[in-house]
Amino acid sequence: MSEHVTDAPQDSPRRDDHETDAGRDPLSMLFQPGAWRLERRLYTRPVHELYATLIALAITAVIIGLLVIIVGVSPLDAFTSLYEGAFGNRESALETLVQATPLILTGLCAAIAFRAGVWNIGGQGQFIAGAIGTWWVYDTMPGLPAPLLFVAMFAGAAVFGALWASVASVLLVRYGTNEILTTVMLNFVIDSGLSWLLSGPWQANDTPYSQTERMVESAFLPRFFDDSRLHLGFALALVMAVVVHLLVRRTTLGFELRAIGVNKQAASYKGISVGAAIIVVMAISGALAGLAGAGELLGLHHRINFEFGGAAVGFTGIIVALVARLHPAGVIVVAIAFAGLLNGATQMQVGTGIPAALVDVIEGVALVLVLLAAVACRYRLRRIAHHG
Amino acid sequence: MEDFFTYSVILGIFVATFKIATPLLIAATGELVAESSGILNLSLEGTMTLGAFTGFLVANQTGNLWLGLVGAAVGGGAMGLLMAVMTATVKVNQVVAGLALNILGLGGAFFWYRSVYEESGAVAFPTVDRFQTATIPLLSDIPAVGEVFFDQHWLTYFGVLMVPATLIFLNRTKYGLELRSIGHNPEACDMRGVGIISRQYTAVIYGGVMAGLGGAYLSLAGGNQFFDDIVAGRGWIALAIVIFGNWRASWILAGSLLFGFLEATQLSLQASGVDLPYQLLLALPFILTIVALVLNRSRSQVPLSLTIPYHRGER
Repeated sequence: MSEHVTDAPQDSPRRDDHETDAGRDPLSMLFQPGAWRLERRLYTRPVHELYATLIALAITAVIIGLLVIIVGVSPLDAFTSLYEGAFGNRESALETLVQATPLILTGLCAAIAFRAGVWNIGGQGQFIAGAIGTWWVYDTMPGLPAPLLFVAMFAGAAVFGALWASVASVLLVRYGTNEILTTVMLNFVIDSGLSWLLSGPWQANDTPYSQTERMVESAFLPRFFDDSRLHLGFALALVMAVVVHLLVRRTTLGFELRAIGVNKQAASYKGISVGAAIIVVMAISGALAGLAGAGELLGLHHRINFEFGGAAVGFTGIIVALVARLHPAGVIVVAIAFAGLLNGATQMQVGTGIPAALVDVIEGVALVLVLLAAVACRYRLRRIAHHG
Repeated sequence: MEDFFTYSVILGIFVATFKIATPLLIAATGELVAESSGILNLSLEGTMTLGAFTGFLVANQTGNLWLGLVGAAVGGGAMGLLMAVMTATVKVNQVVAGLALNILGLGGAFFWYRSVYEESGAVAFPTVDRFQTATIPLLSDIPAVGEVFFDQHWLTYFGVLMVPATLIFLNRTKYGLELRSIGHNPEACDMRGVGIISRQYTAVIYGGVMAGLGGAYLSLAGGNQFFDDIVAGRGWIALAIVIFGNWRASWILAGSLLFGFLEATQLSLQASGVDLPYQLLLALPFILTIVALVLNRSRSQVPLSLTIPYHRGER
């Protein structure tokens, strides 16, 4: 018996430093000759995570294809019209970028908070707070010259978004109130608040609808091309992705928030002021969603009406962030892909009769599978060879 | 304002209190069992929406409301099963898994509803012949009390009965106590040979079934149709009620009824044409939920390993 035990390590074809305790147990190898075994990796390489995500997305496509067959449409037709509508020509590709703009910002909003282990589900409410802040600046400071006006409006959006998020973070830090529930509740509260503003103090004089006046053209964000709605907000979103990346990776605050995200208690023992960091990260998170609100208002709609939050970009941002595994660069890619889905779904509905709500299912399935894949790539299958 | 405090208005508020509390009560008692096993199921909103839809679909297609309830239970249970696979077996972060399934449940219900009922882009607004209140003979003849307590939907009686049932299950039965010990100290249970994963599956699936039934109340008893926003935040409020109730069934009953009472008062204030912006009244339940969570911060009964996945041989 003891002979086998000492022999066992040599039976193993490959040994490295990443072996788990179970892997070193020679007895378990004796009893499973030639078997496959699931082992936990101690270290996951980023490229593995990327592969796992891609495999998950491929499986999503298969599942959605089957669903489309059940509905009675050829998956090839469905996917073709989805793709055509999303990236088929210059016009639709640019429109996809238009729709990606708020998703990048709300995706970053969720990503930076989740990095710190703060579950900000309130991106939707902070997005609306940002639009309210933008309009408030526009409404109260009409005399400002154009460049200053834009700075003030975006600052107003960021501050309102940050303040709305801070309601939740202050309650969390001060009273330990679950931030998931408070941010969700605050989404509902600001919906009612906006509805009140639109049917009361801010209602346009010339219409019976719940909406504000249309902004003057000097307050419109510049557009890149004459034939597309793509506006400067897209560039802002890309810049913010770089800023968030640098913030998370290259600054003390970024280090602190990652430390808190891994283990609050350990971070606090290390001397990090956890409460202060949570307040700051939530403010940044809310500000990002607020900027998305400003971009949509100044770049696209030019007025706030009751449908302003209808696209639910705040909620989609959460999915974007999670599918992107909280990486800012990934957020850009996933936001554009999701925007493509949203944009293409309209054409798919017209062309094949599949309800555009298929996009919601695609997002949900993709997210579930990406999460499962993320866990799966923490393990590996090892063949335990038996050399007789 | 004078005629607000009339007998019939106040009686109406108490009757409505139970109606509004029903879906919360059913979903929250189910969630209590799930959380007792250490798994926080954040997907209640999506699960209730899917349950409201599958219940409606079955009832609408078969014409049988009771089969509709079965459909809702199956829909909710399937969501619970997915949640259990993701959290108990694969051990994905519970918050993230809950958010993901929320999205899947909502998206699934929206898509399924449209693919069944949408004809060339327009929905025909299908309805069901909804449940009537189940009037209990004799008892319902008692003035006031009878109307409030004994002339409600079967699902309302069910929801109220689930409170003592859950209380007895979690505190007096072997299985319930084992669930709670798993929620507090899975390692000790594992050493004692109490199967953790199977019990977590049971608890989370049960929670999903209850959330599905809570959703079905909205589409089969409280109302007679399905629409996208049918649950309207009740799933989140049910989650808040479990926390507010400090993980005790009796407090969950109190929390649900308090919420139902405030909401019912708000609705009849609105109907009486009181001079307040109606948006304030709409926001009130959500503001009150936050206030309630801030005021009652007692956490003495929280399952100690809630949201912490159990890996044998680690920690």
